[in-house]
Amino acid sequence: MENQHIVPMELLQLVYAYALILLSAALARFRRIGQEKQLLWASIRMVLQLIGVGYLLQLVFAVRSPAPVLLMLLAMTGFSLQIAGKRSRKRMPHFYRVVGSSLVIGSGGVTFYFCLLVVGYTPWFDPRYLIPLAGMIIGNAMNGASLAAERLASEMHDRREEIETAICLGATARQASEPALRTAYGASLIPTMNTMAATGIVALPGMMTGQILSGTAPVVAVRYQIAIICAITAAVAITSFLILLQGYRTYFTEAHQLKGE
Amino acid sequence: MIRLENIGVTRRNRSGEDAVILEDISLSALRGKITCIVGPSGSGKSTLLRLVNRLEEPTTGRLLLEGEDMALLEPLALRRRVAMVLQKPFMFEGTVLSNLQQPFRYRNLPLPVAGSGEVARSLKLARISPELLERDARTLSGGEQQRVSLARALISSPQVLLLDEPTSALDRPATDKLAMALHDSCRQEQLAIILVTHDLRLAGRIADVLMYLERGKILEEGVGSEMLALPRSEAFRRFLAEPGKE
Repeated sequence: MENQHIVPMELLQLVYAYALILLSAALARFRRIGQEKQLLWASIRMVLQLIGVGYLLQLVFAVRSPAPVLLMLLAMTGFSLQIAGKRSRKRMPHFYRVVGSSLVIGSGGVTFYFCLLVVGYTPWFDPRYLIPLAGMIIGNAMNGASLAAERLASEMHDRREEIETAICLGATARQASEPALRTAYGASLIPTMNTMAATGIVALPGMMTGQILSGTAPVVAVRYQIAIICAITAAVAITSFLILLQGYRTYFTEAHQLKGE
Repeated sequence: MIRLENIGVTRRNRSGEDAVILEDISLSALRGKITCIVGPSGSGKSTLLRLVNRLEEPTTGRLLLEGEDMALLEPLALRRRVAMVLQKPFMFEGTVLSNLQQPFRYRNLPLPVAGSGEVARSLKLARISPELLERDARTLSGGEQQRVSLARALISSPQVLLLDEPTSALDRPATDKLAMALHDSCRQEQLAIILVTHDLRLAGRIADVLMYLERGKILEEGVGSEMLALPRSEAFRRFLAEPGKE
């Protein structure tokens, strides 16, 4: 396979690209539809974050040791937990313990399985693979996690009567929460399912686009994309599953009593 | 049958202070008798009832079921013996029959079919026509739903039945029908029934024993009809004069 050289992205080209955001903000301002400040602030933040991560990645790539790579993965998980916590309007009890442990086990487990067994590169901590792959997996798992956690909290609140009726009829805490768990699990998987359904038809996924742009043959890029979508789906599903499995227990006592709100 | 000994409940409220919900409550509920607890809103009636099938725990005192300390009984096994009907009847998705089968699903037991003895018995006790069995439970009237919840609670043959304001959303004919169903169930099944209500008319009709609860304390108790005719305490007299006042 012949790798063609990618068109370099010069500063001026970036300025042209950023002009699109300025244009959108100007349109919003002109029609007084709002959001222009938020749009500009979010875009500036995005630029600064990406420049920062670019330099950080260069540094981590140069060190070639597992410690900084693992540290970076840990920081990514920490940030995603914080974002998930901020996003959820209704928080389940022990949110950070439940969601944090599920994210570490769910996305961490899938990341290492995927990197070591599926892709199988060496050394195992090679940041060129581990960091972008983990980033995609953790980012998606975070979305699933916040959906699962928030939906569980609202289902447990809305279904209080149903749950107590079930408890009175002799149900265990698990049996009484079953309908809430099903709904929350379904909700956490919706974005991933939608992405799978639209992949390749509505849009080419980011990783595949990136690989094609940097000269990889489309057929190889497609294989990578299939593999990463499998990993992302599993990470979302396992993380959500673990959150729900631990999460519903936080609403009950040992004697299968629904705690007060 | 059921004995409550010096029960006290204290809960921390939202402002972080300890609030006394129930104070030094002692009472007994006997088989084949209906014990009615009346009192204004916020007097602790519902909390008292919720202690009896361990939806909540007391802070002090103990509850005995046929001499056994309830705190030592396995909660799921206990709830099989002590059934409870909540204020607002919740119908699970599906038919009336499917709702009656729900307790069996939870216990992984074979589901009773429409013609089975269990189903027929519970329908009869709750005064539900067998024709309703295939109806979508969520389309029934409030009174019918409350009687389906009664049948669903009775189908597992409990020893004690707890009812929390079961008639609060029912009109008079529906209340009367439920009252008859409760009376029959209590006598035929030798159930110990504890009923919490605002409805003095209902209490007067079916209570064997009546208790008046106010601010977490039982202020008066006695035979239902006598107590209503000749209230002894000033507090109960006030409540009888204005039962809706809180």
